Amino acid sequence: MSQYVFQQLINGLSLGSLYALVAIGFSMIYGIVRLINFAHGDLVMIGAFSTLGFVAMGVPWPLILVFVLMIGALAGMTIEATIFRPMRGAQQVTGFIATLAVSIVIQNVGLMTLSGQPRNFSFPAFMRQRVQLGSVSASVTDLSIIGLTLLLIALLLVVVYRTRLGTAMRATADNLMAARLMGIAVNRTILFAFAIGSGLAAVAGLMWGGKFGQIDPLLGFAPGLKAFIACVIGGVGSIGGAMLGGYLLGLAEVLFVGLLPPAFSGYRDVFVFTMLIIILLLKPSGLFVRHVEERA
Amino acid sequence: MLEVRDLHVTRGATEVLKGISLEVLEGETAALIGANGAGKSTTLLTLSGLLRAKSGTVRFEGASGSIDLTKLAAERIVGEGLVQCPEGRQIFHSLSVEENLSMGGYLRRDRASLGSSIEEVHALFPILKERAKAAGGTLSGGEQMMLAIGRALLARPRLLLLDEPSLGLAPQMIERIFDVIETLKKRGTTILLVEQNAAMALDIADRAYVLENGRITLSGSGRELADNDRVRQAYLGIAS
Ligand SMILES: Nc1ncnc2c1ncn2[C@@H]1O[C@H](COP(=O)(O)OP(=O)(O)OP(=O)(O)O)[C@@H](O)[C@H]1O
Ligand SMILES: [Mg+2]
Repeated sequence: MSQYVFQQLINGLSLGSLYALVAIGFSMIYGIVRLINFAHGDLVMIGAFSTLGFVAMGVPWPLILVFVLMIGALAGMTIEATIFRPMRGAQQVTGFIATLAVSIVIQNVGLMTLSGQPRNFSFPAFMRQRVQLGSVSASVTDLSIIGLTLLLIALLLVVVYRTRLGTAMRATADNLMAARLMGIAVNRTILFAFAIGSGLAAVAGLMWGGKFGQIDPLLGFAPGLKAFIACVIGGVGSIGGAMLGGYLLGLAEVLFVGLLPPAFSGYRDVFVFTMLIIILLLKPSGLFVRHVEERA
Repeated sequence: MLEVRDLHVTRGATEVLKGISLEVLEGETAALIGANGAGKSTTLLTLSGLLRAKSGTVRFEGASGSIDLTKLAAERIVGEGLVQCPEGRQIFHSLSVEENLSMGGYLRRDRASLGSSIEEVHALFPILKERAKAAGGTLSGGEQMMLAIGRALLARPRLLLLDEPSLGLAPQMIERIFDVIETLKKRGTTILLVEQNAAMALDIADRAYVLENGRITLSGSGRELADNDRVRQAYLGIAS
């Protein structure tokens, strides 16, 4: 394989990792409260700026990772408990507008307190080196993003599919009424889904900053939108679908720009949305979902 | 065991329960019969804490003594031993049979005896053991009903609420489900059974109530109601 193609592949996988991490949380939240959460991308921004703060305080990187995960989880739980929970039972459009409002508030508080000036964000020097793998090479940052994401996804799958709380969370997403009748405190399992989903988004923010080198208070928009698209491609409400949708989207975007003549690179989003439309025309319930049962 | 006094419940703008009173004694099987939309499910959902009463009381001899359920959170009510097997089965379609059952035992702290409870459910419904790894949604209607009952039993009910267990099942399967209810009754489980299949419900019931438009209009032993002319006409389809 030529270095060029390999580089594009690694690049697509690392971008896809970020999309997948954000999309998984987006999908978990939709799955359990049927809410298209447009504030989800802003957790990415919160994670990125928290990272900058911890770096300034001199916190070691492994601890920063843990702290950012916790900050994301706390922020997600706070938003759920104070804003989304009181609106439960209201019409779906009410919740949808509430998530837009939360997003706008977060972005504007960010603009006021942090200013709109992009800030430089850099990983430690060794992360910016390249490693030689036979005849090709890749950046440590991209490889770390791919590796850390796989690790986080593995942990997530264990929690969701192998623990009692994870099973209760899936039960709540499957049938809220039955979950309550079994004695599951559904507000707790919902909070848990927000904690996990938002924590992952914040960690994606940490990696986003490192990959692109600059952050600003509005950076959450792109990952939020892409996560939504990844979920739609993969099948809304399924963790596996969101993950695969994220990787597919990241790879497709990068390969489109990288492998076609440079004149086309401006059409990246046109390409992404065309792909979305075609997939939805062919498989309305998403690529990786066998059947969708609408809940009455 | 359960004593409902003057229960009023509104859903949306309509008053669905207009002051109902009923009781179930320990060890009894009580039946609540009535037409579509009479308020049977509303009654059970209120007992389980999923709907809130506007007024009235619900006394229950729970795990922590005699308590009023009308202010209690749904998960506390299950913990007290009032467990519902809801209308339409409502099993978890995407969870395996095994996981469905484990969710029935969600609140139980006695991990050790949970295993033997699962074996008891398997003995009652062997198919649930055979299909332990299958997704709940892939079971047939009758199997789903067994799963729903098994799941409720794993919560160790002091009082088991059954909402139309015969709904949508083939006659043979209905027989089977009623045999199981009979077995549970013999084992001493207290049961409140809601049914449209009035003949079978009255046959099995020690005590029965007729609910019409949100009011209890008749009550008595299962035998008495089965012999009552109005019941025979309206619910048993027998001309008098
Ligand atoms: N979510 C709801 N909002 C408003 N009214 C409702 C709602 N659900 C049910 N109702 C009304 O409450 C009344 C009683 O309904 P309920 O489900 O308790 O009846 P039921 O006796 O269980 O009937 P069925 O035999 O069909 O199950 C009906 O008139 C119904 O229209
Ligand atoms: Mg009903």
